[in-house]
Amino acid sequence: MPDVIATARKQRRTLLSEVEAKDLLAEAGIPVARAILAKGQKKAVEAAEAVGYPVVMKIVSPDIAHKSDVGGVTLGLKDAKSVRKAYKEMIERVGAAAPNAKIAGVAIQNMAPQGIEVIVGATTDPQFGPVMMFGLGGVFVEVLKDVAFRIVPLEARDASQMVREIKGLPILQGARGAQPADLPALEALIVKVSQFVAAHPEVAELDLNPVFAYPNGALAVDARIVLASA
Amino acid sequence: MPVDRARLHRALNPKTVVVVGDKGPNFQWITNCSEFTGNLYSVQLDEKEAAGIEAKGIKNFKGLMEVPGEVDLVICAVPRNVAPFIVADAVKKKVGGMAMFTSGFVETTEPIGIELQGKIVAMANEGGMPLVGPNCMGVYNRRLGVKFMQGQEKGEGGAISIISQSGTHGIGMTMGSQRLGVPVTRTISIGNAAVLNEADYLEYLLDDPETPAIAMYLEGIRAGRRFFELLREGTKKKPVIIWRGGRTKAGARAVKSHTASLASDDAVWMALMRQCGAISTESLEDTIETIAALVHTPKSSKKNMALVAMTGGQSVAITDQFERAGFEVPELSDSSYQRLGEFFVTIGGSYRNPFDASSTIGRESDNLQKILEILADDPVIEGVAIELQTRDFEKSTERMDGMLALMSEYRTKTGQPVVGLIPTGGGMGDQEEIGSRARVHVAKAGFPVFPSFRAGANALGRVRAYYEELEARTK
Repeated sequence: MPDVIATARKQRRTLLSEVEAKDLLAEAGIPVARAILAKGQKKAVEAAEAVGYPVVMKIVSPDIAHKSDVGGVTLGLKDAKSVRKAYKEMIERVGAAAPNAKIAGVAIQNMAPQGIEVIVGATTDPQFGPVMMFGLGGVFVEVLKDVAFRIVPLEARDASQMVREIKGLPILQGARGAQPADLPALEALIVKVSQFVAAHPEVAELDLNPVFAYPNGALAVDARIVLASA
Repeated sequence: MPVDRARLHRALNPKTVVVVGDKGPNFQWITNCSEFTGNLYSVQLDEKEAAGIEAKGIKNFKGLMEVPGEVDLVICAVPRNVAPFIVADAVKKKVGGMAMFTSGFVETTEPIGIELQGKIVAMANEGGMPLVGPNCMGVYNRRLGVKFMQGQEKGEGGAISIISQSGTHGIGMTMGSQRLGVPVTRTISIGNAAVLNEADYLEYLLDDPETPAIAMYLEGIRAGRRFFELLREGTKKKPVIIWRGGRTKAGARAVKSHTASLASDDAVWMALMRQCGAISTESLEDTIETIAALVHTPKSSKKNMALVAMTGGQSVAITDQFERAGFEVPELSDSSYQRLGEFFVTIGGSYRNPFDASSTIGRESDNLQKILEILADDPVIEGVAIELQTRDFEKSTERMDGMLALMSEYRTKTGQPVVGLIPTGGGMGDQEEIGSRARVHVAKAGFPVFPSFRAGANALGRVRAYYEELEARTK
């Protein structure tokens, strides 16, 4: 695998693409919904067949921070025909919404079954260096602020406390008759991300949002990594 | 610069102290050190001041280099422009270290102040000399009688050491602890923390055999990473209470992620406290009361409290506060209820736990003795908090002493926390002065005592949570 951090550095980028970020995380043993970068309809279909239908298609561009704002995300593509069509439309849509953005292609990933959405993140605190965050995920995370922090490196019990510290814990424990989430899997994921961050001081910011928490296991569905300015 | 631990140790435990630049009419620093057990000298160029110093029986020299023998601690109180010359001499004389009271440095934000501090720091670092401050009150050592306030006690042994970024709070924490009957081993006022930072002092105190526990007042953190690592391991060795004042401004960093936008200074600080098993406090009162609870109770992570109040309303209020602070107020064993039923006055009283006990123990302490004996025998109960009446206290301490003796007996027998509560306001609002004197009396007898149920419950709750966390972390 090419060294994605070195590549980004060479290209003077601090924002890794989703595909790059997920490659890095997968290499570190963190469960992610792998994404394949594809340019052109034909490659997009090949990628979809490799990850398995149904798939999600997302635009890949170093110039676009929020993909859904420019119509750069399409969910639930079930076959080759819909992938081709979605590709063509997405390139047109994004081209219209962000005419100056450089488009590297699309990321194709298997559409993971819905789980409880949580966020696992890391950032660099000016006083204490790398810190990690856990909370209920989704679009309201910054409004609800129901999150817990720990300083890297985390021990297993730090992860266990973090998961139990948030007010939304009952949601993970199976509120209203739902199946409880696999908390040990979440904790293991958090500890692995801590190890990843500790091993990669170049990583300044990391958001796994959402991570799907399942009754059995957990999976990072989206990933953003920002490198420190070199 | 790595700290020269041997030199820092000399500076904090000096045999010879030199005060540079003390001035009349009070001669503050020399007077502060009037009980110092070692050799005290002065350096002062001003003839008139020098005469005043000699008149106080302190040998004065014209320069630090003229002082005979080894010097362990220099207390520097000269104007800021002179300070670099004193530092230069101290480095040359290889003193243990320096406490620099002199201010007017980076805290002024003036270019001259910043430049002078830079000079001092460079010289101290180059000379490997530990420098406390500048812009600080310096060091207090109870055993040796090195003080920065006359009211600081001199005596053997201490139960806690204090590090404070603010001189005022360093004094407040020290005097407040003493008032609550807690001897303070040493206090270090760290000021601008220009040469030694909070992590250096924490490391010293964690290794200091004279320091059983640590309390800190901090605003900013200079060596965050090292502080985190020291604190995380250190709290397994001794309890560390941290009162944090102020907030670090996030600055104009571009927030690119959800995590970064949520990682507020407060959020990360609370994570640090939790992760490191430190005891977090939010005010001077909180801090002092937590120190008293920590020092005056046996180590216990247990939750089941017996609460003894003096009226029905207070028995409800005390229960609310202790439950909110993480305690439980369980029913007693049947055998305890049987024994209590034999003597407890239930007209205008009750003993279910909480106790409404004024009718039963209002006049004499015999019944308190019975209650405490029953509680001591009851395996359900793991700690006791008692509202102490101050009736007749202004006439005689006899009644209070009787209760304290019973509390002491209970504590010795059970090894459980016993807390006294003398609430201010309410029915005894006009007797606050008596309450206040009564609290001092109880504190001197070695019990934690609080001016409200809430304060007592919170202080004991923080200490209990520390031990619970400690057990979980070290098992």
